[in-house]
Amino acid sequence: MNKLTVTRQLDTSGKCCPMPIVETNVAMKTIHSGEVLEIVATDPGTRTDIPSWCERTGNILVDTDETDGVLHYYVRKS
Amino acid sequence: MKSLAIVVRDDGYDKLLTPLAFAYLQGAEGTQVDMLFVNWAVLALTEEGAHQQCIQGEHADRDAWVRERVGKAGLPEDIYDVIKALKATGNVNFYACSLAAGIFGVDQDNLIPEASGIVGASWFLNDKAAHAEHCQYF
Repeated sequence: MNKLTVTRQLDTSGKCCPMPIVETNVAMKTIHSGEVLEIVATDPGTRTDIPSWCERTGNILVDTDETDGVLHYYVRKS
Repeated sequence: MKSLAIVVRDDGYDKLLTPLAFAYLQGAEGTQVDMLFVNWAVLALTEEGAHQQCIQGEHADRDAWVRERVGKAGLPEDIYDVIKALKATGNVNFYACSLAAGIFGVDQDNLIPEASGIVGASWFLNDKAAHAEHCQYF
């Protein structure tokens, strides 16, 4: 994958549902179309919630990775 | 989802968390959420009642532990503060059932300002729940 340019990082580490999705909604309003939000999460529920949220809202989940239980989601705003 | 109607019957700190969390999720995403508080749960729409919500029954001794975990999860620990956070999304309305309000002592004087009013159940069921895309009962 080409290196992504992250416009903003949202760290939800330690937080659980509903906060990662609540904060993602807020954070996405602060970036422009085409820009990328990196969401850092430790809630395993985000494995289903973030992809589902992207599909529902039309934003693009460009990439994900996980290291030692820390999940990273890269979402490009539509 | 465009609209969600939730009826909350059971009070208690832990029992209120799920409907409030669901409403927070959907409200943050832009869903119009209308919540009707009936029976004892109507007390959560008073400042005193919201602050006094606690865990009852067999789990009562774990109240402090649960509050701490709720705080770590990122939610406000106090139910009234959760209600304020939901209201701040601009998409969540709180209604007190008029029957419950009459029975359990909620009126315009002690109703929290975040609530949209004391309403008849018929209005809520016909004008909100029946038109909502999805309904939930807690």
